[in-house]
Amino acid sequence: MTGSGAELDPVTLTLVQNRLDHISLQMGWVMTRTARSPIFSQAHDFSCFITDPAGYILSQADGLPIHTGGGGFAVRALLDSFSDDIGEGDAFVLNDPYVAGGNHLPDWVISRPVFADGELVAFCSNRGHQSDIGGGAAGSYNSAATEIFQEGLRLPPVRLVERGKTREDVWRLLLLNSRTPNLMDGDLRAMLGSTRIGMERLAELALELGGETKAYFGGILDIGERRMRVEIAALPDGVYHGSDLTDNDCFEARDYVIRVAVTVSGDHMTVDFTGTDDQMKGFKNSSIANTYSAVYTALASFLSPDLPGNEGTFRPVEIIMPEGSLVNPRPPAPMTMNTIIVATEIIHSVWQALGQFDPARSCAGWGKNSVPTMSGRDDRDMPFVMYHWAGAIGAGAVDGRDGFNANGGLISLGALYLPDLELYEQAYPVRFIRQQFRIDAGGPGQYRGGTGIDYAVEVDNPAILSLRGEGLYNESSYGVGGGFAGQAGHMQITEQGGAAIEPEKYGILPVGPMTLELKAAGGGGWGDPLRRDPYLVLRDVRDEMVSRRAAEEQYGVVMDESGRDIDMAATGRLRSRLSGERNRG
Amino acid sequence: MTGFNDQPTAGKLAAPLSPVSPWRIGIDVGGTFTDVALIDSAGGIASIKSPSRPEDPGEGVIAALAAIAQSLGLETEDLLRGCALLVHGSTVATNTLLERTGARVGVLITEGFRDSLEIRRGIRTNPWDHRTPYPPVLAPRYLRLPVGGRIDRHGNEHTPLDENSVARALEIFAAEQVESIALCLINSYLNPDHERRVAEILRGELPHMPISVSSELAPVAGEYERLSTTVVDAYVAPRLVTYLVSLAERLTVLGLSRPMLLVKNNGGTATVDEVVREPVTQTLSGPAAAVGALGYFGKALGVRDLISVEVGGTSCDVVMMVDGQVAVTDRLTIGDYDTLVPAVEVHTVGAGGGAISGVDRAGVLFAGPRGAGAVPGPACYGKGGEDPTVTDAQLVLGRLRAGAYAGGALTLDGDLAVRAVSEKVALPLGLSLQDAAAGIIRVAEQRMFHAVSFVSIQRGIDPRGFTLVAGGGAGGLHGAALGRLLGCRTLYVPRLGGVLCALGMLNSDVRHDDVRSFLAPLDHEAGDQVESRFEAMTADASEALLREGFSDDKMRFERDLDLRYQNQQWDVRVRLAPGEALDPDTARARFEEEYERLYGHRQPETKVEIVKLRLTGFGVLPTLPTPPAPGAAAPEPPEPLEIRPVYMDAARGMQDAPVYAGIDLVPGHVLAGPLVVEEQTTTIFAGPGDRLEIDHAGNYLIHLGES
Repeated sequence: MTGSGAELDPVTLTLVQNRLDHISLQMGWVMTRTARSPIFSQAHDFSCFITDPAGYILSQADGLPIHTGGGGFAVRALLDSFSDDIGEGDAFVLNDPYVAGGNHLPDWVISRPVFADGELVAFCSNRGHQSDIGGGAAGSYNSAATEIFQEGLRLPPVRLVERGKTREDVWRLLLLNSRTPNLMDGDLRAMLGSTRIGMERLAELALELGGETKAYFGGILDIGERRMRVEIAALPDGVYHGSDLTDNDCFEARDYVIRVAVTVSGDHMTVDFTGTDDQMKGFKNSSIANTYSAVYTALASFLSPDLPGNEGTFRPVEIIMPEGSLVNPRPPAPMTMNTIIVATEIIHSVWQALGQFDPARSCAGWGKNSVPTMSGRDDRDMPFVMYHWAGAIGAGAVDGRDGFNANGGLISLGALYLPDLELYEQAYPVRFIRQQFRIDAGGPGQYRGGTGIDYAVEVDNPAILSLRGEGLYNESSYGVGGGFAGQAGHMQITEQGGAAIEPEKYGILPVGPMTLELKAAGGGGWGDPLRRDPYLVLRDVRDEMVSRRAAEEQYGVVMDESGRDIDMAATGRLRSRLSGERNRG
Repeated sequence: MTGFNDQPTAGKLAAPLSPVSPWRIGIDVGGTFTDVALIDSAGGIASIKSPSRPEDPGEGVIAALAAIAQSLGLETEDLLRGCALLVHGSTVATNTLLERTGARVGVLITEGFRDSLEIRRGIRTNPWDHRTPYPPVLAPRYLRLPVGGRIDRHGNEHTPLDENSVARALEIFAAEQVESIALCLINSYLNPDHERRVAEILRGELPHMPISVSSELAPVAGEYERLSTTVVDAYVAPRLVTYLVSLAERLTVLGLSRPMLLVKNNGGTATVDEVVREPVTQTLSGPAAAVGALGYFGKALGVRDLISVEVGGTSCDVVMMVDGQVAVTDRLTIGDYDTLVPAVEVHTVGAGGGAISGVDRAGVLFAGPRGAGAVPGPACYGKGGEDPTVTDAQLVLGRLRAGAYAGGALTLDGDLAVRAVSEKVALPLGLSLQDAAAGIIRVAEQRMFHAVSFVSIQRGIDPRGFTLVAGGGAGGLHGAALGRLLGCRTLYVPRLGGVLCALGMLNSDVRHDDVRSFLAPLDHEAGDQVESRFEAMTADASEALLREGFSDDKMRFERDLDLRYQNQQWDVRVRLAPGEALDPDTARARFEEEYERLYGHRQPETKVEIVKLRLTGFGVLPTLPTPPAPGAAAPEPPEPLEIRPVYMDAARGMQDAPVYAGIDLVPGHVLAGPLVVEEQTTTIFAGPGDRLEIDHAGNYLIHLGES
C-alpha cells in the first residue's frame, strides 16, 4: 500500500476511477471502428490501457483477457529505454518480449506519454495483434521456429512519432517487414488515433486534478490491491498444486509440464512455478508479461468477474517464474504461440490449484484450440491471411452451467468473436461446408463440457497452413468433481484428387486446393454425470449432442421407445447400478 | 417513466379541453401504465395514464381510450369517430421475447449450419463473467433442420436445392407441432433464389403458418445475425399478429375509420397490414416513439440538435438528435437476442433514481448500476429498502421534500433516507452526511454523463451547444448538472415527459427502411447498378406506402450508401440527394469528409467500396398543429410554496431556495435560480445562475449558468 489513500476524497476517487475506465473504453471504441484488419474489429485481439508515469496499469478495458495486466511491462521497458527523453507529442512502438516487455512479437504496443502542465502524468497505450510482421510464416505464426529471429520483426522501444511528427523512415521500415503492409498501415494509424483520443482525455483529467493527480492514481492502484486482498482472504490458508502439459515441442512428442504451487497465507498469495519444465525448442514458451497475464486471467476468472483491471491487483500476489523454464525462457527461445499455448496450460494449472481451495467454484478444463492460420493469394491475386477461428473449441463446465459449445478459447473467455462465415467467404477464397456441434465430445458431468465444433471448409487456391493443433488427437481438457474430460480434436486435409491425410499437430504445410476438416476439442464436465438432470440428458439426446448410447453409459439415462422421453424406471435402475460400479471401481 | 400522472397538468394547460375534431391519438402500452396523448386540430393537448393489463393488452388499450374519452366528456365511440390518426406502440413483441413466451419455432437452414443460432459467434458480453449461462436459444437444435443446396460466394448455385430435404423437415415440424417457421439459407443475401423457392413451398403447403424469410427481412451479409433476426421474427409473430389483428378489428367496430398505425423500431410507423409482414420491427415499438417527441420539442424550441435523457426509476435512456435526425442503427439487441433491423439508437445505463449506492469490499463508493426496483425501492419509501439510493440522497439534500410523492402514491420518509445514507455511505467513508449524499449524486450523474458521451463519441458529435431534454421521473433533478457536464447551455423539461412516447407517436411519419448488402468497389461501373437497384427498392417502398393510402405527393424517399475503406469493417453512411446520380468521386469525397470527422484521419491510397444500399420511404403525415400562442398579458409572478434549505453544489453547500408548485407556473413566467419546482410527479432543480422560463407550450426551459 502506498499509504496515500487516507488523504483522498473518496467521492473524487470513485469519479477518477470511473473516468479512467471510461477513457480506456473510449480508446477501444475508436480502435474497433477504425482498424483495418478483421483481427481487431471481429476478433477483438487488442487492448487499450492507461498506466501511471511509472508504467503501472491504472485501467484497462476491452480486449482479450490474456492481454490483461501484462501491458505495464511494455511501458516500463519504454521508460528504461528513454528515461527522460520522452516528450510531448511522442509516440512509441515496441513488441519484443525479451527487451521491450512484449508478450509475443505479433502484439505491437503503441504508447503515448501524457503531459499536463509540462509534467509526465501517464501513458496511454494500445496493444494490438498485427496481421503479419514478417518472419518464417505468413501471418507470423511460424510453428517451425526454433529462435525468435524466425518469428518476425523484433522491436525494442522505438520512437515512431517525435514531437507530433511521424518518423516516415521508421514507418516505411515497419511496413517493409510485413507481408500485409496495407493492413499494417491502417491498423497502426488506428492505434495511433485511439491513443491520441486517450491522451487528450487523460490530459484534461490531469489538469482538473492538478497537483493531486499522482495521489489519486496511487489511490486507484490501492483499490485494486484491496479488492484482491479481500478475494484472497476469503480462501482458506494452505498450499495446493496444479499442473497441465503440452505433449510436444512442435517437433517431437514429449511432455512439457507446467507445475504450480499456489500458497494462500492470509490476504497474500504466492503462485510458484518452480518445478515447471525447461523451455522448449518450439514457439510455445511464455514471456514474463504473458505469464503474468495468464495468472491474472486464471485468478480473475476464478475469483471475481469484477476485479479492477489495474496492476494494484498484483501487489498481494507473488509470482515465481524460474528462469529458463517454459514460463520465463532465456533468449532466443521462440514464443509466438504463447498467448494460447502455454497460456492455456498456465490457466488450467492455476485453476486446478484454486479449485482445491474452493471446490464449489472449481472450473473444468477447456478444450485446447487447434485452428491453423492459412496464407495464400485470393481471387484478385492479393495476399491474405485467414484464421480458421470457426473451428472453435468446447469450454469447460462450472457449477450451474454446461460448457459453451463453441468459444474462441480459454484465453479469450468469449471476447474473441467467431466470424460470420458469409463475410469470410467474401474476404477469402473459401467455401464453408459445415460448422456445427459435435456429438459425444463434451466431457460428461452433472454439467456437461462444451461439444466443440465440427468444421469443414473448401479452399479454392493453394495455401500455406501454419498448424497449431494443440487440441488434436489427445484429450486436452479435464473434468472436475467427478466430471470427465471432453473428447480430443481431429483434423483431416484432403487435397483435390488426393487422399485424406491427418496432419501433424504443428508445422508449416503447403497445400493445393483442398478441404480442411477439423473437429475441435470438447470441454471438461463438472460433477458426477449420474447426477445430471435426466431431462437435460434427454434434451441433449434429442439435440443429437449426446448419443443414446452415451446417455446410458455415461449418464445412466434410458430413453423410452419413442426416443422422445425418458424411461424413468429404467433410468433409476441403471443409475443405481452404475453408481455402485463406479464407487467400487 | 412509470410513476407519472399527468392528468392534472394537462388539464391545467388546456383546461377544460373541448377537443376540436379531428384529433390524433397516441397510445403507448408500457409494463405498468398505458399512456394516451391526444392533440386536437387547434393544438390542444390532453393526456392520461391508465393501468396496463398485461394478461390482455388489448383490453388495456380499450380501457385507456375509455378513460381519456371520459375525461373529455366523450363516449369512446365519439372519441374514435373523431380520430383522424391513431398510433399505437406496444410491448407485446418485446415482452414475448423477454419473457420467452413466444412460438415454437422450426428453423430451416442450409445443411451444415444448423448451429449458427446457438454458436452466437462465441460472443460473451462480459467475458470475465464466464459462470453465467447464455440465455436459452429460441429454437432448440432438434427443430433446426438442414436444407440441401448451396449458393456460393459469387451468388451462383453451387449445389442445387434439395426439395426433398424441405419435405422431410416439414414432416418433423408437423410431428413436433411447430407454430412458426424461420428460413435462412447461406448467401441468400447475394442470391435469394433457393430461399424464395423454399418459401414458396412452405407458403403453399402451410397457408396458415407464419413464415419468416431472411432475405425478405434483412438481405444483408452475416448468417448469424440474419438468422437470429429471422428466428426472433418467427418467435414473436403468432402472438403479435393475433394481438394486432384483433385490436384493429375492435377499434374498427368501436368507430375508428382510419387504419391504426404502429410504431416501429425505426421510430416511424406502419399499418397493421405492413407490420405483420415483419413482426421483428416491433421489438422496440414503444421507446422508439421518443423520436417523434424530440422532433415535436425541437420544433417548439426552434432547434435541430437535441439530446434526450430520460431518467426513470432504474435506468437512464439517451437519444441524440442531430440536425433534426435521430440515428438509426442496423443492429438491435433485445434481451441478448440480436437482430438486424433498423432501430432508433437508444443507449441505456443503470443510473436512475433507484440506483443503489454503497461502499464496496475495497472501501470504494459506488452508485448504480444495480437499482432497488419498485419493491423495496429507495430506503425513504419505507418499504423495507435499507440501501441508500439516488432518491434518498436527493431527499437528504433537500431537493426532494419528505411527505407525499409521485402524486400521492408514495410517502417519502426523510429519517429513513438519512439513516441509509449515513450508515451505508457516510460512516464507512468518514464523510459528512451532506458530502456523502452529494457524492452519491455526483457518481450517478457521472454515469449519465458517460452514457451521453458514449453516444456522442460513436457519432463523432460534440454535445456542446445541444439542447438537453430531460424526461422521466428523475430527469428534472439531474438535468441542470448533467447539462453543465456536457457543456449544454439549455435544458428543456417537458411537463408531458411522463407520456413522452405517446406524445411522440402523434408526430411520427410512416417509415419503411430497406437495407441491402451490395458489395462492389466504388467506381463508375457500380454507378448504373446502384441506380437500378435503388429504383427497384423505391418501387417496393412506394408500393407499401400506396397500400397504406399515401399518394405520390405524400411520399418522400431517402437514398444512402454505406461505404468503407476496403477490408475495413465499419461503414460510413453517405447520402444521395433526391435525383442525384451516383458519382464515385463525389461520393468518395463525402465519405472521406465524414470519415475524417469521425476518426481524425484519411487513407487516400486505400480503395473505397460499397457495402450496403439503404432506401427509406416516408409517408408524410399532415404537420402536427403547434400549441396555442400564449395570451398577451404577462402573468402575475408566482408565490413560492415555501423557502427551504437545498443543497446547491460543493462550493455553496446548503442554501435557502424557493420551492414552487408546477401548477402555479404558466407561460411567460421567468424565474432566477436557485429554485425547486414540484410537479405532480416530478421535481425540477435549477441552480444558482440558472434562469427558468415557461415557454408557450407550457414546458420548462432552463438557461444554464456557469455553475
